[in-house]
Amino acid sequence: MSKYLDLSITEINEKLKNKEISPLDLVMESFDRIEQNKELNAFITLNKEQAIKDAKELEMAEVDNLLFGIPIAIKDNIVTKDLRTTCASKMLANFVPIYNASVVEKIKNKHMIIIGKTNMDEFAMGSTSQTSYFKAPHNPWNLKRIAGGSSGGSAVAVSSRMTPLALGSDTGGSIRQPASYTGIVGMKPTYGRVSRYGLIAFASSLDQIGPMTRNVYDNALLLNAIVGKDEHDLTSVDKEDEDFTRFMKQDIKGMKIAIPNYFVSEIVDKEIVEKVHDVASLLEKEGVQVDYVDLPYLDKSVTLYQIIAMGEASSNLARFDGIRYGYSYDKCQNLDDLYLKSRQEGFGDEVKRRIMVGSYLLSGENAKTYYDKALMIRDDICKSFAKCFAKYDMIIGPTTTTVAYNLGEDMDNPLKAFLDDVLVIPVNMAGLPGMNIPVGFSRDHMPIGLHIIGNYFEEAKMYQLASRLEEILKLSLQPNYREGGIKDE
Amino acid sequence: MTDKLSREEVLHVAHLARININDAEIEKYRVQLKELLDEVDKIKDVTNYDKDMMITPVKEEIKMRPDVEKDTISFSLVRDNIPHTSGNLIEVPVMIHE
Repeated sequence: MSKYLDLSITEINEKLKNKEISPLDLVMESFDRIEQNKELNAFITLNKEQAIKDAKELEMAEVDNLLFGIPIAIKDNIVTKDLRTTCASKMLANFVPIYNASVVEKIKNKHMIIIGKTNMDEFAMGSTSQTSYFKAPHNPWNLKRIAGGSSGGSAVAVSSRMTPLALGSDTGGSIRQPASYTGIVGMKPTYGRVSRYGLIAFASSLDQIGPMTRNVYDNALLLNAIVGKDEHDLTSVDKEDEDFTRFMKQDIKGMKIAIPNYFVSEIVDKEIVEKVHDVASLLEKEGVQVDYVDLPYLDKSVTLYQIIAMGEASSNLARFDGIRYGYSYDKCQNLDDLYLKSRQEGFGDEVKRRIMVGSYLLSGENAKTYYDKALMIRDDICKSFAKCFAKYDMIIGPTTTTVAYNLGEDMDNPLKAFLDDVLVIPVNMAGLPGMNIPVGFSRDHMPIGLHIIGNYFEEAKMYQLASRLEEILKLSLQPNYREGGIKDE
Repeated sequence: MTDKLSREEVLHVAHLARININDAEIEKYRVQLKELLDEVDKIKDVTNYDKDMMITPVKEEIKMRPDVEKDTISFSLVRDNIPHTSGNLIEVPVMIHE
């Protein structure tokens, strides 16, 4: 089997330009790798026939950008015209969208090739991808462990080198947390950077699409391709075009970095805290000022997230009524029966729990007691971050409190999914950009991720810091591949 | 404080969500929903906060797109995803009984 997909995007691009390889070689290699590692369950739907057709159409075309002909995986909550989009739910198991999400149009405009739709938690609700109707993906570093979630399939596809690029979505850490568990780079951009048109809504004031890649440079390249104002998403922001790679070779000396004490407190595993301290020391050697600070309200974020996310989810998922699209219970006696039973049978447990609690939180006076108050405290979190960014360029900490744990662990605990994301949720509350980069391994050789939080629209500066750390650490980030499969313990 | 919701409370919440639940689910949700609701109740402990509300993280003025007529999606495409149709109509169960 060829190994072009082990190369960086720049190296692949050189080979495409020199006609050493063609887009079809990349596409076929991608499908070979998916087939040989299908036990990872990274994909729900493959786009093989169309991908081959697209690749053949590019054979004679001019290689006009760095992402030309590159295979990409798309999370299955981003709609793709004529390609099944399930949201990993029985509710949408047969749903074939009739339009493309704006990010998909942008990807096609750059001549990237969509390989398939990746596995995820049902409606992006979960932190392990185990709530998927199509069974959980496995972590390529250890098949017995979770890949994280909700963008678990996208993380696995990139980490195990099935595709160099993937898109994920992040409502409360769903790009960064699986990126951390699988040893890849994942960016949740500033809220509004990327159009949400065509992203099946979970919690609209928190959702954001972002890139998941093997390295920092590729990540910035993919972000370049998907940002921009979109008339179909009123919350998308009109910003001048910028190149997110532009600061990457610049010195980081003189940067000021804050580490909130809460991020290195007893809620985080000791070896992960040690790794963050090691990174802080490395940065200090580079001439970066690193201070440990108190940042109020971080410990309240999970409660706020639960109220806002479940409230908005209950409202967004009210559209699934068994009438216009999606699963429909067909033995109903009346309209109420149709609603109630289609939703009973179409949604999984985690989704039903969240819709029920969200409906309660928004009902009558509860809306003021819970949702309105959560929005007020959410504003305080933003002010607290703003004060920190008045003094510091960026904030860092661990992405997760533990490394990826065993599949099946703590499945009946309804709070587990939220607590797994305790360190990444504050970023969604404030709408700030946050990214994961791998910074080392645990004693049992599972990836550990660093969480970098930037000020609004300062993703380029975050890539600058991330790329320097990547250069210093020079980690070997290939899971235990062997020819024909992935090695288990 | 009890560690379970009552059956009636679970049924009330399920009704708000328009989700049918069976007896086994009621018993499961009595515990699980209570755990979630106890967690969100922690917001009541926060007393020192500003009254400004954050509706969206977007600081820029949100502008509507120009009100220009454009082609709409044809019904024949939409119809393919509708579970029950009758010709060009969406079929639903009987709503009005004699």
